[in-house]
Amino acid sequence: MKRFLETGNFAITEGAILAGCRFFCGYPITPATELAEAMSKRLPQVGGVYLQAEDECGAFHLCIGASLGGMKAMTATSGPGFILYADPFGWALGCEMPLVVVNSGRVGPVSGITGAPGQGEFYLTRYPTQGGNFECVTLAPNSAQEAMAMVVEAFYLSERLRMPVTVLADQLITDGFEDISVPENEAEMTEMGFKVWPRKTHPGPDFYPATDALDIPPVQMGQNTGGLCSDWTPTEEGYDIEEVEAHHKHAYRLIYKVRNNTDLFSQLLEKKHLDDDPDLVVVSYGTPSRVVNTAVERARAEGLNVGALRLINLWPFPDQHFKRPAKYLAVELNWDGELVREVQRAAAKDSEVHFLGVCGDLPTIPDLLEVFEKVLKNQPLQRRGWQLEAW
Amino acid sequence: MEYKSSGLIDKYLRTRKIPSTACSGCGLGINHKIVVQAIAELGLEVADVIWGTSIGCAGRQTFATWKGDGFAGTHGRVYAIARGLRIALRPEQKIVLTVGDGDAFGIGLLHLIHCARSNADMTVIVNDNLGYQSTGGQFGFTTPQGAKTDSSPYGMFEHNLMSEGMDVMHILRGAGATFLARHVAMDGPAAVESVKKAILNRGFSLVHMPYPCPTNFASRHLGSRDQVNIYRWIKDHAAPLGQERNDTIWATGVYYDASNSRPEFSEHVWNAVGKIRRTGAL
Repeated sequence: MKRFLETGNFAITEGAILAGCRFFCGYPITPATELAEAMSKRLPQVGGVYLQAEDECGAFHLCIGASLGGMKAMTATSGPGFILYADPFGWALGCEMPLVVVNSGRVGPVSGITGAPGQGEFYLTRYPTQGGNFECVTLAPNSAQEAMAMVVEAFYLSERLRMPVTVLADQLITDGFEDISVPENEAEMTEMGFKVWPRKTHPGPDFYPATDALDIPPVQMGQNTGGLCSDWTPTEEGYDIEEVEAHHKHAYRLIYKVRNNTDLFSQLLEKKHLDDDPDLVVVSYGTPSRVVNTAVERARAEGLNVGALRLINLWPFPDQHFKRPAKYLAVELNWDGELVREVQRAAAKDSEVHFLGVCGDLPTIPDLLEVFEKVLKNQPLQRRGWQLEAW
Repeated sequence: MEYKSSGLIDKYLRTRKIPSTACSGCGLGINHKIVVQAIAELGLEVADVIWGTSIGCAGRQTFATWKGDGFAGTHGRVYAIARGLRIALRPEQKIVLTVGDGDAFGIGLLHLIHCARSNADMTVIVNDNLGYQSTGGQFGFTTPQGAKTDSSPYGMFEHNLMSEGMDVMHILRGAGATFLARHVAMDGPAAVESVKKAILNRGFSLVHMPYPCPTNFASRHLGSRDQVNIYRWIKDHAAPLGQERNDTIWATGVYYDASNSRPEFSEHVWNAVGKIRRTGAL
């Protein structure tokens, strides 16, 4: 095990290389630029290729091409680049092409502030493209070390589920310096729970069987398997067809290969003080969860009946953790409320769902404690105007 | 070499997609045959070629026609997919892309230019039906000036990439393409020769091949779906390079041949990777 004081971008790069990634294509954008830079340095050292594309749409498509040729590929960006992924993301979902997408969230909309964290792509990672009839997988780490682990996990899931998998980080995770341990051999990887799934070649000819089966290798070009993949509704062999029944078979696979195999990732979450069924459950993901965890510890010390649920697997949304009627408080880095909507949807009948949004910064512990107390005492949470008054 | 379709189909194409679903009288099949004929004359096998396509008439009609591996990109993106794929393929494997004019010269032009810049080994056959015909017949960026289409009912009057001395070929040459040619569908053996050169160039090659669309383009611009009219109209407005007339729209022949004159993209990248891996520097 080698230890470093390094950024999340460094950790993600090392994780990708450990997972077998040998192709990275990106486009410079703060705060994901350092990830591309780290890749440009590290990949050639391990016999991999780093390329800089004409734009994010091109970058994702180059990754598709490399994956189509049998290489494990990754791209990374921030919100304004993620939106340009919409087109290739759909292609990769439809053609079931494994690859890993990293998004380092910054405050938006549009270009916003380059150096401030944000969580505005919660829904975008679930609906990254048009058309519907697909399911997505998103993993959200809250530290540099966990970002490394989740990138390894994302490659593993992308191969087994045969689809792009998103790692949703934020500016503080990718840019922040932390203590990082990098495994140096397979034994250490196993010890850290890192699983690697090798790329295999599909022998053809049924490239898109209408099943929810895992572990079907993707279509590959260049092996003379007669592999076919296109943006149109495919037959099981990959021919384009304008036929609703074929579309049903394809849509079934795209949705249910994920929904029927959630045990692959459903363990990816963190619970704090939830064993005694607290009155208030604070729900968060990514960097703010670190503040939430500290605040919950303090609240417990002050006698408040609070616990924390941190989601790592964001999509498909883990509804099963909201079956107990309780007060839920979603804490996230936006003012409009994204995570809170899913909590509202998933929460058991007779639950109360509250929202604490922070824009461009992290929540503070005093703020959180004040909100916990108000929610527990049934006092209203209100905002007046753009200058937030005390809760 | 004999010019016989049945032999080409048996060896290289999937019969499931032959005949295609193209409109009656569509000229795309002629272009398609030119490309397959060139591949046959070069003695390439099915496994030697990976065939990519775009959307629109040209892309969809040619997708999954090749007996070997085939892929299709969304609007304008197949060039970027092909560039990534180039990194993963062996150098001797050929990428042939059959695409349309809107795809290559409109929505995909940025990706196309970067394929030319990097001299990525692929042969792009731009099957130009003079506009967006699968969407019903709107003008594109190489539609002849004055052409009446559904979106230019008074005649196409915008500056475009083939008027007033401008030519998309100049852009591609400036961007770094190493083989460029233009042929109309009726050029037959001359077009086959150019496509062969394009495929043999280990670098970025593009052949622009306008072809007749009787259903949409001809019906609006010539007022007739009679195939003879549009075939004749295209032929009358094409002439070999150097023999252009005042009314020539398409000068045909090889525009630029710098085949194998500069390092190919994937070879260049892999050489750099190998050197960095061995020595730690370039």
